[in-house]
Amino acid sequence: MAYDPQREDYQRLGLRFATSLDGMDARQATRSFATFGRRFAQQRDSLPQSDADRAFHLVAMATKLIDYQLPFADDDQAKVLVATGHKLLDEAIALDAHCYDAIRMKSASEMTSFESFLDYLHDRDPEVKAHCKEQQRRFVSNSYGERARLYADLTMRPYVRWVSTQAEHALICGRNKEALSLAYACLELDVHDFADARFTAALAFAKLEDEAGFDALEARLKALGTVRPANDPWALIARLCLCFKAFDHFGTEHWLKEILGSFPRAAEALIRQIELPVGVFARLATLPYSEDELILAISEATVLLQEGVDPMGKGTLSTWLYNEVSQRNPEALLAVMAEQRDKQGGQEA
Amino acid sequence: MRGQEELVRRLALKRRRRLGTMSEEAYAELELAVRDNPTHFVDDAQEEAFALVAQALVELEANQHDDDLLDDQQYLEQREKRLAKLGATCQQALQIDEHCIDAALLLALSKDLSPNDMVGSLVELERQSVEREGAVTATVAGDAWTNVFARPLLRLHNAVARYCLCTTRYDQARKRSIDLLAKAPLDALGASLTCALAMARLEDEEGFYWLEGQEGHRGNAWFHLGRAILLYKLGRMPAARRALGGYDRLCTAGAYVLLQPVFVDTYLPDRPAFLAQSFSETVLAVHEADPIISDIPDFAAWACDQPGFLFSAQEYARQNGMEWRDWNE
Repeated sequence: MAYDPQREDYQRLGLRFATSLDGMDARQATRSFATFGRRFAQQRDSLPQSDADRAFHLVAMATKLIDYQLPFADDDQAKVLVATGHKLLDEAIALDAHCYDAIRMKSASEMTSFESFLDYLHDRDPEVKAHCKEQQRRFVSNSYGERARLYADLTMRPYVRWVSTQAEHALICGRNKEALSLAYACLELDVHDFADARFTAALAFAKLEDEAGFDALEARLKALGTVRPANDPWALIARLCLCFKAFDHFGTEHWLKEILGSFPRAAEALIRQIELPVGVFARLATLPYSEDELILAISEATVLLQEGVDPMGKGTLSTWLYNEVSQRNPEALLAVMAEQRDKQGGQEA
Repeated sequence: MRGQEELVRRLALKRRRRLGTMSEEAYAELELAVRDNPTHFVDDAQEEAFALVAQALVELEANQHDDDLLDDQQYLEQREKRLAKLGATCQQALQIDEHCIDAALLLALSKDLSPNDMVGSLVELERQSVEREGAVTATVAGDAWTNVFARPLLRLHNAVARYCLCTTRYDQARKRSIDLLAKAPLDALGASLTCALAMARLEDEEGFYWLEGQEGHRGNAWFHLGRAILLYKLGRMPAARRALGGYDRLCTAGAYVLLQPVFVDTYLPDRPAFLAQSFSETVLAVHEADPIISDIPDFAAWACDQPGFLFSAQEYARQNGMEWRDWNE
């Protein structure tokens, strides 16, 4: 599902606006609310909001620049995007000293290693948790029904993101058991798993070659029925990897076919195996079953693909996938090669 | 692999079987006679093939002595020639006895395939061999290795486990090593070393400590390094720090070898012999752990940050006149 900061910004202000209409008669309230969309887009400042809401808006703007525009920018543009993004984050923190999304994003860029970032997140975890819990208590106790549910969700999100970022980084650091327990902590916090922590868990189970554990997680989520079926590309890649590692040739074949058949231009994505920068706000939002979603999952599965001794220096599973998919889909290989030639030509010109 | 030693044992045992009951003294005499002139005692295709393999290994070792004097290009050329020669001898051996496991194993290794292709062909060879000969079982004496005729298959199992480890099949490496240890508990092949690394990578703390207990907590470079990796991965930093310190203190050149990669060639067919607590021991352990260390991107940097570790590495280099390249350059 992934977090969409623009949508979250909208939800925050919408909720606050709705709360401000309490006490009005129904007709007046309906008329007021009809203006919300336009005011959100054009006259944001005319809407009731706290400094925390304003800070989050800046986070949403920074995310757009850093997570969504930066990967496609050239060097000059990149400098501007980074500088602007950081300025927005600084302003957010100045407005709200508890804007943990901004604090987390800012520190991600300041850390010298994955490990130091992981340590940092770990050290401040209790503080973030306590703050979000307190916010949740305050807002929820003043509301009821759907509104209370939404407050409960929105106020905890910065903490869920804090924990899911820890899970992702634990996986990168090779601390797979830690990644798993953090992913489970996210699932405890949010049964709908907006953070998609189960994707991180899928990769960690494959790293630990714990098929039984993975089965148990899938069964539990299926029983809860709060998330989409486990045919997302993270789960499929993890399954393929588990079979590959166990010399289960039929299984490997099955999951490879499943991936190739479930996503548009899957062969190209599996040949390219692009590594994308990790989303700083959260995992990038992509459409389920889209080409982008597969590209993103392959990038995150780098920890699985690029492991092991291999003469190409790319990792055992990475090279196997490249060879296997290229052989089956020579036209996809040609397309990728042409793409790379164009890119090189473009760079030289 | 001590091919000549095994050849003598095999020939003497076969001859005794033909001659019937024999006193221990008479058998000792027989073994001496075989040692003097093994060729004289070869009287079946199996031993003829095995003798070829054993001879090829002797030559291979003799040829490696001057490797240190060669530059990279010369070394690669030499290596290619050596492997081609080994491959040719193995093929010859297989023509004499198509079921000679050591010849088939060495032939596969001499082809210099990618580790993933290698493990594929070794697993297939293993399957065929077990189907033909039946699985090796522990002997009455307790260790299958004491049966010299079981050694080729045990060696093959061991090679498969090692290639499982370097192609990220850690659970397979673990299972296969444990199986091998059950068959040959004295562990002449060092299956426990592969197993320790697999368990560290899988963050299998319970398994790792169990294995250490099996080994009588004697410790060696694989276990010392494995423990540091395991505890680091589990995020138990004070314990990981102590384990790293232990590795540095107890393994010759531990810090140096971890920070300065030393080239190790393909094992033909198994891990080269090494003296306990020697430089070679550390080099082999780090070489085998390399894919696991690469999987923990910050491990080397973390090790460097531990008080005294970098100094210990540089000091070793200085005292032994070894080259030092700044590892983060």
